[in-house]
Amino acid sequence: MTRAERSLYIWLGVAAILIAFPILAPVLPLQPTIGMDIPNRFAGPSAANWLGNDEYGRDVLSRIIWGARASLAVAFGSAFCAAVIGTILGLLGGYFRGITEILAVRSTEIVICLPPLLLAMLVITILGAGVLTLTVALTILFVPNYTRVVYAATLQTGGLDFVKAQEAMGTHPLKILARTVLPNIVPPLLVQFSLTVASGILLESGLSFLGLGVVPPAPSWGLMIRAARAAMDQQPLLLLWPSLSLAGTVLLLNVICDRLQDVLSPKTAARGGAAWLRRQIKRTPDAPAPDVPLLKIENLSVGVDLDHASLGLTKEIAFEIKPGETMALVGESGSGKTLTGLAMTGLLPNALSVTGGHAWFRSSGGAVDLAHLTEDEFGPLRGNEISMVFQDAAAALNPVHRIGDQLCEIIQRHRPMPKAEAEAEVVELLRKVGIPDPERRIRAYPFELSGGQRQRAMIAMAVANAPKLLIADEPTTALDPTIQAQILRLPPPRRAGGRGRACGCIPRSASPAPR
Amino acid sequence: MTLKMNRRGFLNTAMAAGTLTFLGTAGLRAQEGGTLRFGLSAYPPSFDMWASTGTAAGTVKLMIHRGLTSFDPEGALRGELAESWEVDDAGVWTFKLRDATFHDGKPVTAADVKYTIEQVAAEDSTAFRRAQMASITSIETPDDKTVILTTADPTAVVPEWFAHYHMPILQEGAEATSMVGAGPFVFDSLERGVSLRVTAFDGYYKDGEPKVDAIEVIVYSDENLRVAALEAGDVDIIEYVPWAAMERIEENDALTLDTVPGPFMYLTFNGTKAPFDNPLVRKAIGHAIKREDVVAAAFYGHGAPLAHLPLDESSPYYNEDLANGWEYDPEKAKALLAEAGYPDGFSCTMLSTAQYGMHQSTAEVAQAYLMMIGINVTLDLPDWSTRVQKGNEGQYDIAVMGTSADSNDPDGLTTVLDGSAKPSYVRSFGIETPEITEALNKGRVTFAEAERQAIYRGMEEAAIEQSPCVFLCSRAQGYAMASNVTGFSNLPGQLTFYSGISLEETALS
Amino acid sequence: MLRYVALRVLIALVLVWLVSTLVFLVLHLVPGDPAELLLSAGNSAPDPVAVAELRAQMGLDRPVLAQYASYIADLTHLDFGVSLRDQNPIAPELALRLPRTLELILAAAVIACLIGVPLGTLAAMRDGGWSEKFVSLLASAALSTPVFVVGTTMILVFAQWLGWISAGGYVPLAEDPLRHLSLLAMPAATIALPLTAVMIRMTRASVLEVLEKDHVRTARAKGLARGPIIRRHVVRNALVPVITVLGLEMGTLIGGTVLVEYVFNWPGLSGYLVRAVEARDYPEVVGIVLVISFLFVLLNLLIDITYAVLDPRVKLAK
Repeated sequence: MTRAERSLYIWLGVAAILIAFPILAPVLPLQPTIGMDIPNRFAGPSAANWLGNDEYGRDVLSRIIWGARASLAVAFGSAFCAAVIGTILGLLGGYFRGITEILAVRSTEIVICLPPLLLAMLVITILGAGVLTLTVALTILFVPNYTRVVYAATLQTGGLDFVKAQEAMGTHPLKILARTVLPNIVPPLLVQFSLTVASGILLESGLSFLGLGVVPPAPSWGLMIRAARAAMDQQPLLLLWPSLSLAGTVLLLNVICDRLQDVLSPKTAARGGAAWLRRQIKRTPDAPAPDVPLLKIENLSVGVDLDHASLGLTKEIAFEIKPGETMALVGESGSGKTLTGLAMTGLLPNALSVTGGHAWFRSSGGAVDLAHLTEDEFGPLRGNEISMVFQDAAAALNPVHRIGDQLCEIIQRHRPMPKAEAEAEVVELLRKVGIPDPERRIRAYPFELSGGQRQRAMIAMAVANAPKLLIADEPTTALDPTIQAQILRLPPPRRAGGRGRACGCIPRSASPAPR
Repeated sequence: MTLKMNRRGFLNTAMAAGTLTFLGTAGLRAQEGGTLRFGLSAYPPSFDMWASTGTAAGTVKLMIHRGLTSFDPEGALRGELAESWEVDDAGVWTFKLRDATFHDGKPVTAADVKYTIEQVAAEDSTAFRRAQMASITSIETPDDKTVILTTADPTAVVPEWFAHYHMPILQEGAEATSMVGAGPFVFDSLERGVSLRVTAFDGYYKDGEPKVDAIEVIVYSDENLRVAALEAGDVDIIEYVPWAAMERIEENDALTLDTVPGPFMYLTFNGTKAPFDNPLVRKAIGHAIKREDVVAAAFYGHGAPLAHLPLDESSPYYNEDLANGWEYDPEKAKALLAEAGYPDGFSCTMLSTAQYGMHQSTAEVAQAYLMMIGINVTLDLPDWSTRVQKGNEGQYDIAVMGTSADSNDPDGLTTVLDGSAKPSYVRSFGIETPEITEALNKGRVTFAEAERQAIYRGMEEAAIEQSPCVFLCSRAQGYAMASNVTGFSNLPGQLTFYSGISLEETALS
Repeated sequence: MLRYVALRVLIALVLVWLVSTLVFLVLHLVPGDPAELLLSAGNSAPDPVAVAELRAQMGLDRPVLAQYASYIADLTHLDFGVSLRDQNPIAPELALRLPRTLELILAAAVIACLIGVPLGTLAAMRDGGWSEKFVSLLASAALSTPVFVVGTTMILVFAQWLGWISAGGYVPLAEDPLRHLSLLAMPAATIALPLTAVMIRMTRASVLEVLEKDHVRTARAKGLARGPIIRRHVVRNALVPVITVLGLEMGTLIGGTVLVEYVFNWPGLSGYLVRAVEARDYPEVVGIVLVISFLFVLLNLLIDITYAVLDPRVKLAK
């Protein structure tokens, strides 16, 4: 059981205990909910009435518990009915498309356009108030949400290979829907369900507050809040209890929804967020700096931090690079080439960390251990003395910024200069990596460039500040071999004196590794 | 029938009050001035001056317009545009007009009165007093200041007809929605649904009035907010004080609370179906409800139990021996049910509305007490509009209703008690009580007080026996104001919604 | 692009027409008669003759379909008709009230963004830490407290106890800007509260997702400091889904500020709608629904266009 699952089960347990009260209400030793005791109205909490009496002298505690039945029945009932109807509509619309789609999916948009309160008012005034009507009204309100979610999920799933395969095998469409598509849309459905239950509880209280909900003397939380608001002078506590119950329940449902999301889509479940954003403790290497030419990797290991133990991924790698050298790291896929590259720049993913060894680097400020630097200490080095060309340029470039701006950023970060000057430099860089018409291209967004052009832009970015060490992770995947060679021989940009540049290269396969 | 003019005590007082009023025109206004901010409970649904558009609209009408008569702060009839009136032996009423002017400077003449009556009585009229005005068979205007009215049957309450806020005198040729009146304030501006502003009319016929320069009417439909606005100093005076807040306002030194017992709550029945076609069952219900608890729960103690007809102790028509006609007695109630053939009770629905807290609370308490004598009641609480229609169409078994009578006279209870009139949600559905109808008709054309007392005593006895409807409690109807507001008075009893008339005397100190 | 927008507008118009037709017909099923109600004000028993006369004047004695036909005929000239109650033309009333509701919603949206986005970003950056737990708890609490409880409590505290601001009401901006803003504060804050919670949750989730993206690693590889990375490469990217949700929420708010307008006496569109329904003022109800649903559809279209502007990858034609 993962942490997320454990947390989910704990919260589900809390919910189950709380739900047990209203379910068991008939057998609990509660006072009657409708017996009036008007002389003792607004009495405060006492041994007999733990939460005091309401405006008719009725016991508040038993009304809260019985009221939960109404509130929860409406919320769960409508969420469930809407889930069933919405799922069917969404499945049919998403799978069959065409006229079915218009009838099933588009028609629900009419409901979305209507102000929800008006819809509820109309339904309730026509059918008469009560738990059943409320459930009907809320069901109508919730159906479009489910239809949308299921429709979108069905569209996605319907395009998947295994569904297509079943279609090809001539399986009956309804069977495909039930066996293949439905199980795949359960996660978004469950999340939607917990969301609607929460909003159902809130809506029930709002409608009861307006007198459109549960019919007295049966209790509901909304009714209790409505009555308490009028009697706020006489007994303010009356407002507190139902509000607390209401807020607490919705809160609980929200928490469960969050945990459910964590469990169902574990990718976002990496709790703890980005480690690099935290202030890091400065660690001093446990060994004195040896004499390093440029880079000296000593017994570097990278591992995964699990809850209890750590799992080694790469073990005790060691090599050395001298200025001007190009070195290729070759190995099977999954052997840790990329990890080693990332470890040297402190860019390891969240769960990974350097578990041992050193990566000595001769920076302009003296020798440093890259395996022990904090995020802040890396700042002046990255993109300046060490830079990296990433594997997947399409993902590595920020889609919402123009290419030129993304390149200017790295130049201006390390060499402050006016925007115009930086831009001129960028144009020059882009030309050198072989991007045609760079003056116009700097205005382009990454998605407007071809794969090869993105890769070149990525390389231009890496060499913009003439780093001493350039780590290239399959830099030329998208390029043809002649250009690969040409790019890797790029001279350092104009910079006084120039310096020797080394290149750690992680080629895609062993054969075209440039020498 | 005989008409003895000089023994009409209630009319004599009225005429005296009418003549006492100072005659001078265009007097100086008092020095106080200032703008009074009035927190109204609802925006007038329309400005049709003669239509029944509610009490909030009535308050606004009383700022701009005046009728022939009105009620003074003690509740006695007094003259407004009419300075005096008299009736002859044949029941013909003669009204003498005073020198009053409309806001546009034109004098109020007999022709304006004639026009008003004709418009209200017209074929396509939707006016509140339509039926009454239609019973006027001739309107003579011998001169500019005299109006002579003849009714189909001699009628004692003609001057009261003209005191109603839905019966103002408009200028000849004016639209029903005319904002040009002869009242103390001139219409200035409005923002529909939000607020309305009137300014003092310097040509008002009462000297030194109005005492404020202007009134800013601001609508607060939420009662809690209305009180909050008063407490926060956003307004100077509010109407329809919620009962829950009365105690707090009384304790607040900066505020004054002015309440009168008046409007009342009662139960109506659908007599077209069993078991409510049986007077015994209705009477049983009358005895089954502990009225103190209705007062406590629905009105936070600001009201009084009402186990007879809603006639105040001070009324000459009050019968002390009948005051506990429907006294709370569950045993008697059960016995009556058994006598009617329902020893084990029955099930029924009770119509009320969730839109107004007092209607809902009254229903909830009544329900609890009816359960105790074995009547299993299910509440039906739609919005007010639906409740009105259901009431008009008889789609209920028992219904909770609250209203005020048209006047403090027993005749003012006609709309509630007269089962022979067309069905309406304010009275029981399909219950005809000939004794009551007869008494009401007789009382209307009887001028002698002792005779009237006897007639209405009979009516009350019949009402308790037949129980066409069952009265539960009267409620305190309140205005609350900042302590620097003076001169405003809450008119007594059923007249509380006429209180807007005293805005002419209201001042800010 | 232009063709796409035109098509969407056309679909929107059809949708709005369907919605208003539905409302028009359903309204006549609802019990309650406008003429009877108007004359029953103040709990008086109206004269049935007067009621019948008023019904005829209101045109309610005709068959529903005939009423619908003439309503639609008027609507094609953009004539919304007049109120049944006082013959007040509906279009100007809508024009007067709509901006007030929009102002309320916009003010709430601004507050929600100003508070929600930074807090949500903070929660994401400190994911799993105490500050994240605290912010998330706050957000959940804000989301689960009914607006009428919040509104009532605010009035009690700020107007009745402390006496800082008026309990409620409305003054036009032109008349008294300061008072206008002070009256706007409480209702806007009340609406903003759950909206802020939504913003926090959305921003947190979105930022967490963006933080995992490769381009953030690139930004770090450039040597950028935390601040610029968060601002330029995380929040900017994370805002796209957040804005979408904000837009959708604002859309539902156009007809959904009923309770707040009621509690604070804010004379906007939602309160107008409720009062029209209460009085069974059919043309008013349909007119208001027409405007609300049209705005809702329009807003959704605008969101799609904004989406395209914020995220250049999204192409409109689909």
